[in-house]
Amino acid sequence: MNEPALALGMAALIFAASVVSIRAAVSVAIVEIAAGVIGGNFLGLHTTGWVDFLAGFAGILLTFLAGAEVDPDLFREKFKESMWIGSLSFLAPFALAVLFCYYVGGWSWNASLIAGCALSTTSLAVIYAVLVETGLTDTPIGKLIMAACFVTDMGTALALSLIFAEGNVYTIVFVLASAALIWLGPRFIPSLFKRFGNRVIEPEVKFLFLLLFFFMYIAKLGKSHAVLPVFVFGLALSRYFRGNRDLQRKIRVIGFAMVTPFFFIKGGMNVNLHDLAANMGLLGALFAVKMVAKIVGVYPVARKYAPEDASYTTLLMSTGLTFGTISSMYGLSAGYINQTQFSLLVTTVILTAVVPTFIAQRWFEPEPPGETYIFEAIPENAPKEGK
Amino acid sequence: MFTKILVAHDGSEHGWKALSTGLSIAAKFGANLHCISVREKLPVYAATVGEVMEASGEAKAFFDDLTARAREEAEKAGVPLTVKILSGHEVQAIIEYAKSGKFDLMVIGFMGLSSLYDRIWGSTSQNLTRLSPCTVIVVK
Repeated sequence: MNEPALALGMAALIFAASVVSIRAAVSVAIVEIAAGVIGGNFLGLHTTGWVDFLAGFAGILLTFLAGAEVDPDLFREKFKESMWIGSLSFLAPFALAVLFCYYVGGWSWNASLIAGCALSTTSLAVIYAVLVETGLTDTPIGKLIMAACFVTDMGTALALSLIFAEGNVYTIVFVLASAALIWLGPRFIPSLFKRFGNRVIEPEVKFLFLLLFFFMYIAKLGKSHAVLPVFVFGLALSRYFRGNRDLQRKIRVIGFAMVTPFFFIKGGMNVNLHDLAANMGLLGALFAVKMVAKIVGVYPVARKYAPEDASYTTLLMSTGLTFGTISSMYGLSAGYINQTQFSLLVTTVILTAVVPTFIAQRWFEPEPPGETYIFEAIPENAPKEGK
Repeated sequence: MFTKILVAHDGSEHGWKALSTGLSIAAKFGANLHCISVREKLPVYAATVGEVMEASGEAKAFFDDLTARAREEAEKAGVPLTVKILSGHEVQAIIEYAKSGKFDLMVIGFMGLSSLYDRIWGSTSQNLTRLSPCTVIVVK
C-alpha cells in the first residue's frame, strides 16, 4: 500500500471513529483502537515511518496532558491516603505481572517489565468520567481516588523512564536538562505566552510542541524514555493550564484532531486477532493478574481510608487505558515485546478500562450527593410575571 | 383538567413546539409546568480527562442556552416554569421523573435532534408515549 493510500485509509477510519464515538458515547480512543484493529486485520493497513513517529509524539502529548490535567491541590489535600493507595495500586500489579509473565508466561525479563508497567496503571480519565457522571468529583471519595490515581501514574512513569534507561553520559544530560526545563517552565512560559500568545498563528502551541520534541530528543540521546519528565513537566504547568482555558482547549483540539488518533489507530493496527485467539487463556490470566493484584494491594488500605467505599475505590483503581497503551507501545517500538505480547497487553488494558468500571458502577456505586439534576430555573412558586 | 404538566425537551425544533404547547395548556388550566431535558452520558472509557471535560462543557453550554431561552418563553407567557436537566438515558430518565413527580400530562415533540437515528432505531417519542404513566401529547 502506498503512502497516500495509507493516509486515506487512516483518515477514513479516524473520521468514522469520531462519528461512532459521538453516537455511542464511548471514548474516541477506544473506538480508534477498534478501528485500528479492523484496519490492521481486515483492510491491509500497516504502519510506516511517519505513522510511527506521529504515534510516538502522540504518546508524549498524551503524557503531557495527563500531567497538566492533575489538580496538585487535590493531591496535597489527600496526601497520606493517596500515597498509600496509589503506591500499592502501582507496586502490587507491577510486581505480580512481572513475576507472572517471567515465570509462568515464559516472557523475557524486559518483556515482563513492560507487562508490569502496562498492567500497573490506573486511568484518571476513565475514573474522572465515572465520577463526573455520578456527581462524585467533589466528594471526599472522589478526591481520594483521583489523588491516588496520580500517584499510580507517577509510579508507572518512573518505572518506564528509569527501568529501561541505559546509563551513559547523555543520560546525565537528559536528567539535568529535564530538571532544568521542569523548574524553569512555570517561571518563563507564562510571561512568554503573555507577550506572544493569543494569535492565530499559535506561538504557544508551537512552543509547547517544541519543548515536547526536545524532551523526546534528549531522552533518545540518553537512551531513556521521556514519559517521566514530560508527565512532571505537565504537572509543573498544571496551575497555569487551569487558568488558561483557551490554551488548554487549543492543545486538546490539535491533539485530538491530528495527533492522538494516530497513536490509538496504530495501537489497534498492531493487535493481531489470530494471536489473541490462540492465547485466550493467557489473556484471561493477565486480566486476572491485574485484578487480583489491585485487590490485594488496594483493598486493605482502601478499607482503612474509605471503609464504606473500599470496593468501589479498589475497582476504579483497577481501571487502565492511556498509560497502559503508552507502556505497551513503548515496549513494541523498543523491541522489548513482540506483536503477540503487545496484542495481549493492549487487549488486557482495554478490558481493564471496561470491566472494573462496569462492575463498580453497577454494584458498588456510592450514593451521589444531593439532587441528580444539574440546573433548576424558575421555581414553581415564583410569582407569575405580569399578573 | 391538568394540574401538573411535564414537557420533555431535547433542544430540537419539535422540542420548542412542545414547550410552547405546554405553556399554553399550563396558562389555560393554571397548572404547574416542568420542562426537563436529559444530558446523555459523557464519553465512557476516556483516554484523557480533557475529553470528558470538553464533552461536559459542551453539554453545559448547550443546556445553559436551552434553560435561558425556556425561561424567556415562560416569562413571556406569564407561566411559572421549573427547568431541570437530568443525566442518563433519555427515555428512562424522563419516565422516572414523570412517575416520581406524579404528572398528569406529558408534552413531547414528534421528532428529536437525530431524525435519521430515530427512523432506524425507533423514536424516543414512540417509547415515551408507550411507557408514560400519564396522558401524552405529541406535538408535530
